[in-house]
Amino acid sequence: MASATRPATVRERVADSDRSVGRLLLVAAGALFWGWLVVSWVNRWLGGVLVPVGQPLVPAGAVEATLAAIPGLAAYASDAAFVVELTPELARGTWLTVVITAVSLAVGFVLAVPLAVARVYGRFSAWVSLGYTELLRGTPLLAQLFVLYYGLNLASYVPGALSGVFARDVVWVAILGFTLNGAAYQAEYIRGALESVEEGQITAGRAIGLSKLETIYYVVLPQGLRYAIPSWTNEFVYLIKYSSLAGFITVPELYYRADQIASETFRYTLIFVVTGVTYLALVLTASKLMERVEDRVAIPGIGSGSEE
Amino acid sequence: MSDDEFLRVSDVSKWYGEEKVLEEVSFEMDRGDVTVLIGPSGSGKSTMLRCVNRLAEAQEGSILLDGEEVLSPDLDVDELRREVGMVFQGFNLFAHLTAVGNVALGPRRVLGLSETAARERAEAQLERVGLGEQFDSYPAELSGGQQQRVGIARALAMEPKLMLFDEPTSALDPELIGEVLEVMHGLVDEGMTMLVVTHEMSFAREVADEIVFLDDGRVVERGPPEQLFDHPEEERTGRFLERIASHD
Amino acid sequence: MSDPATLALAAAASAAVELPACGGLPISAGDGLATLAPVGQSADWSFVGEAVDWEFVFRNADYLGVGALLTIGLTVASILLGFVVGFPAGAVEVYGDGYLKRAVSTVGIVLRGTPIVVILIVMYFVVGVPQINLGVATISSAMTAGILGLGLRSAAYQSQIFRATLSSVDEGQLEAGRSIGLSRFEAVRYVVVPQALRRSIPGFQNEFTIVLKDTSIVFAIGLAELLTRGYDLFSEQTTAVLEVVLFISAIYFVLTFTTNRALDYLGDYYAIPEGESA
Repeated sequence: MASATRPATVRERVADSDRSVGRLLLVAAGALFWGWLVVSWVNRWLGGVLVPVGQPLVPAGAVEATLAAIPGLAAYASDAAFVVELTPELARGTWLTVVITAVSLAVGFVLAVPLAVARVYGRFSAWVSLGYTELLRGTPLLAQLFVLYYGLNLASYVPGALSGVFARDVVWVAILGFTLNGAAYQAEYIRGALESVEEGQITAGRAIGLSKLETIYYVVLPQGLRYAIPSWTNEFVYLIKYSSLAGFITVPELYYRADQIASETFRYTLIFVVTGVTYLALVLTASKLMERVEDRVAIPGIGSGSEE
Repeated sequence: MSDDEFLRVSDVSKWYGEEKVLEEVSFEMDRGDVTVLIGPSGSGKSTMLRCVNRLAEAQEGSILLDGEEVLSPDLDVDELRREVGMVFQGFNLFAHLTAVGNVALGPRRVLGLSETAARERAEAQLERVGLGEQFDSYPAELSGGQQQRVGIARALAMEPKLMLFDEPTSALDPELIGEVLEVMHGLVDEGMTMLVVTHEMSFAREVADEIVFLDDGRVVERGPPEQLFDHPEEERTGRFLERIASHD
Repeated sequence: MSDPATLALAAAASAAVELPACGGLPISAGDGLATLAPVGQSADWSFVGEAVDWEFVFRNADYLGVGALLTIGLTVASILLGFVVGFPAGAVEVYGDGYLKRAVSTVGIVLRGTPIVVILIVMYFVVGVPQINLGVATISSAMTAGILGLGLRSAAYQSQIFRATLSSVDEGQLEAGRSIGLSRFEAVRYVVVPQALRRSIPGFQNEFTIVLKDTSIVFAIGLAELLTRGYDLFSEQTTAVLEVVLFISAIYFVLTFTTNRALDYLGDYYAIPEGESA
């Protein structure tokens, strides 16, 4: 057996160095991705200080010429130039994707905490909460968006104060839909986490004279929400991906813009591979970010380390 | 009945559904007294203790604490618990808070002290139980004995007029029991009024003013430790004490 | 391929029995709603809806019913494909090593990190899956793309369920298996897998409902399942949008609810006494 361990160690070492190279590449790719996004957005907000609005940051022609000059890559030069041409539209779409996800996740969380607390500690309100979560988790998100947009025609009811924030009011409908839907899922995660907080913690809180609500707020939630982080990360990732469904109710986010260009140019392969990679980059960023958050708020003896 | 009477439990009964867990339990304590409840497991001693701060609800009888009826439906339960400290068998430390955080939570949120005042009070209480070095440790980083001492400090920080101890050493490894009993000894010396459920008979003999022996939810016998331990009047008391002694 | 086909047929048969009941509803429901209609007419929508529009929905109930069957078939086929691919993938992530393990986990990350609509479009337009002729019936290329997209994405998620449950089985179980002379593979196969599969039921339940709901997204490639048919219907009679969408949502809800209860039952049935420790 002793001899068997040796090659394994060598292999491990190779794998380790592979991993660190891989990690470096990933960090570089991430920096490039977010650099491109942020510069594109800022350029647009400032009315095209760097390049005219709608133009790629790097001229497509230059990219094509450069690649054409490199022997092995010449074949991909025109594809690369096409992708570069896409970037302004993709950056615009990604902005909406990010905004819709962030707003829906945050507002959904605000709704989810009372829903979960009601479900665990309420009586009548527990049934209301259960009904809400079951109904929203039991039907497709796309159908829910259809109800709000086509069925209730909510886009024409957007209040004046909110109208005009986005180029199209329908964005608010999408945010509403994702918020309501996400609240149901988040409530379910938080409920599970609250239930994993030991009974004795509540008894101890009550014993020092905290009221029931105070005990939930100061004792149960700080622990429960930490337990909830891993599944909450899942929800974050889900929302990023499912925000693409907003495209079906004409919200010009990333998927919608990709689809528009594809139906004009018929270059589905290239466009959707690039779109897929963009979503993947968003998703990976979100999960790395949440790993950080989890480390930051970690407390010995509590948390996800031991759990899936 | 002395003028100094502080706690008077009279004819307290409690059922869990059909099952009667306490039956007309009565005893009384003066200010500064230490009363120890003993009895086999399931005899209702922990339940009796919990009725005093209303973590359990007695259905019949009366509990007068400092002249006030604890069982009155109009009583502000949170107010009552502010004045009665409790130490649990399983410690029940708040897992997300440091030692100081655990002790300071009550003073900060219930008594409304400022952040700094609450912290100062917490540190003083932790010093009192000999944990001056562990202010910022989380429960998971402390030994069982240390955790229980934090639990005691947490109760003391509310400046209670009565302390309830619910088998405070039962969950501890034998070598850690001593440090907790030592802290409790200190409280006795300071004149704290204490109602204790424990199986530590030598501790009970040393500090108790009165021992109450419960079995099947009823007070079988009560009296000063010398009398109850050395000359039990009831046969059941004698048998229980023998069983405990043979285990030691 | 025979398994999903039979199952889909069985599902079709059972659902077909329920259809007449749906068809029978409009008369009574329509009458009841007619009295309520004036209340709703003041706004351009109402939760009650318009009697005419509900009639329209029920007149087309069997059109939607066929869509529901497609939804069920698509779900079952995708879940099966997901299991067939996902279980070995999960095992590789736990017991495998080297490049195979890394390749599997990378593909998994990509599939889990990409929106299902993008995956479906890539399957449909990029991979360009052909129409499959089974002799008795043909599976359209949209259907194939749908099954592949939903199935492989589900495999990526199922692999995580099985990875988690396989590694949750106590180390000592494997050792005990080895100690009675089983090979490593046999110990995994006869000792670890049976325990892990039982523990996988809750995760699997979740995955099943996710796939069921996400079949609605094949709307993007025009496969005429329940939601697409609903869309076609309300495009035809635009006043009936709410009624149609609520009706199909109710069907989805009944489907997810029944599936969940059925899997609950399965979980109870196969539960090992005191088995859960995670």
